[in-house]
Amino acid sequence: MKTLQPGNAAFRFARHDAATAQTRVQHPPAGNLCLRVMETPNAPNFDAPAPPGTAVDLNQQLAQLLGRIADSDQASFAEFYRLTSRRVFGMARRVLIDPELSEDTTQEVFLQVWQNAAKFDPASGSPLAWLMTISHRRAVDKVRSSQSASDREARYGANSQDIDHDSVSDEVDSRLEAEAVVRCLETLTETQQESVRLAYYGGLTYREVAEKLNAAIPTIKSRIRDGLIRLKTCLGVS
Amino acid sequence: MTDTNDSRGRQLPRAFAADIPTDLAAGRAVELAEIYALDAISDAEREAIDAYVSGAPEAERDSFNDRVRQARETLALSFTAEEEPPADLFARIVAQLPAAAPAEGQARPHAATAETTVAGAPAALPAAEPAHAADELSAARQRREVRRRKSGLRNWLIGVAAAAVIALGGVGIGAYLANQNDPFNQVIEAQDARQATVDVNGGGTATVSISQSHDALVVRMKDVPPPPAGKVYQMWLIPKDGSTPVSQGLMDAEALSKPALVKGIGSAAALGITVEPVGGSATPTLPTVAAAPLNT
Repeated sequence: MKTLQPGNAAFRFARHDAATAQTRVQHPPAGNLCLRVMETPNAPNFDAPAPPGTAVDLNQQLAQLLGRIADSDQASFAEFYRLTSRRVFGMARRVLIDPELSEDTTQEVFLQVWQNAAKFDPASGSPLAWLMTISHRRAVDKVRSSQSASDREARYGANSQDIDHDSVSDEVDSRLEAEAVVRCLETLTETQQESVRLAYYGGLTYREVAEKLNAAIPTIKSRIRDGLIRLKTCLGVS
Repeated sequence: MTDTNDSRGRQLPRAFAADIPTDLAAGRAVELAEIYALDAISDAEREAIDAYVSGAPEAERDSFNDRVRQARETLALSFTAEEEPPADLFARIVAQLPAAAPAEGQARPHAATAETTVAGAPAALPAAEPAHAADELSAARQRREVRRRKSGLRNWLIGVAAAAVIALGGVGIGAYLANQNDPFNQVIEAQDARQATVDVNGGGTATVSISQSHDALVVRMKDVPPPPAGKVYQMWLIPKDGSTPVSQGLMDAEALSKPALVKGIGSAAALGITVEPVGGSATPTLPTVAAAPLNT
């Protein structure tokens, strides 16, 4: 490794007195004022006991934590991890199966959370959807680069009997929420459910889903779209 | 051959083609939102959709983004498999946070790294009226911080992450400093303060204010682009005696907006800033994006 040379001396230190510094200090550029607004903390109830409940409760907590993580607050990062790591790792395991790849993915996801917390924009979705979007994308990228489609299909076939809600909580509210999901999933046709699940947990593209199910490609595209729209409508996502 | 009915049996407007480019050309981008949200497309197809949507009329782009958002919320609610990750995974993650990788082969102990603090811009550059509000916010935040550290901090965090917390000083831990004791202003306003602004290779400037009496300098970046994906800026003091440069901390995109304080400059010939992989490097990767001789 070369040693750093204090080379490019295309500048000079100019002496200036305290008065000059004072003037400058009192007139920050407009950009700094904007930063102030953005850094305003907004977590009045952070110390309240975390209700291990519904998605709404969870999202409120996560949004507050992300604001602090953006300020490099490690305690908030730890709490965010505590609240979400089971989801991230659980999804990674479903998509990747392999424990080590799943750990790698989880690790990358949380590093991305740490680095990009400031970029989280509540207007473009809930914190949980943001996190799971990052997680799914990472898991899918990894599974596609490490395993052929046929491997994934075979793997998924052995695994697809699992139900999604294998960890339903004892909390009443979250139980109700989970039941709503189960009920809404049941409003999908079997072929819609199958296509969406193959894409989500199987990491398959619509093209691969069509091949696996021996169906026409446009048909699969429609099933995925219609299935997700029906699920969205049933769950009241707006 | 296509499912063109929705749940109520209505005819949906447009049947899909076999390939994405045809769908896009036929104006069906919005109908691809669910498949897009599900990542059920190849990278090339994602790029094609992104390119189309970014150039689409605003109304179409909004519809697409709205449908993607809704689909992602739906997926996050519906697919909720959970599994406990290995107990040591969080420790491994913390060890990889920027600056947490304690400068391999470091010439100085952690405490040296911790000397680098970065304050919120408002604290360092107060405007008359809002500064008061900012102080209150800082104080409130600090109170919460103290409360939380007393009560809520997980045991494993204390053990596992303590070293990382110290090493992280370069990325914003010092944001709660009260203004009157603000070491940034003390340096900037010092009688012997000198200042220079250097261009940063890649855009923007770095302004270095140096005070020998405080044995410290303050670096403020202006209009400097965020580091490329997977990279951070790293600051170094280059010792006069020609020994290995000493890391003074990392600046990620967030930290760029905040002034950074570097202490213990007496033996340094220059300050350098390099681009390094996330986590930082033990020795600088040349060329520097900015460098300033200190002439102390």
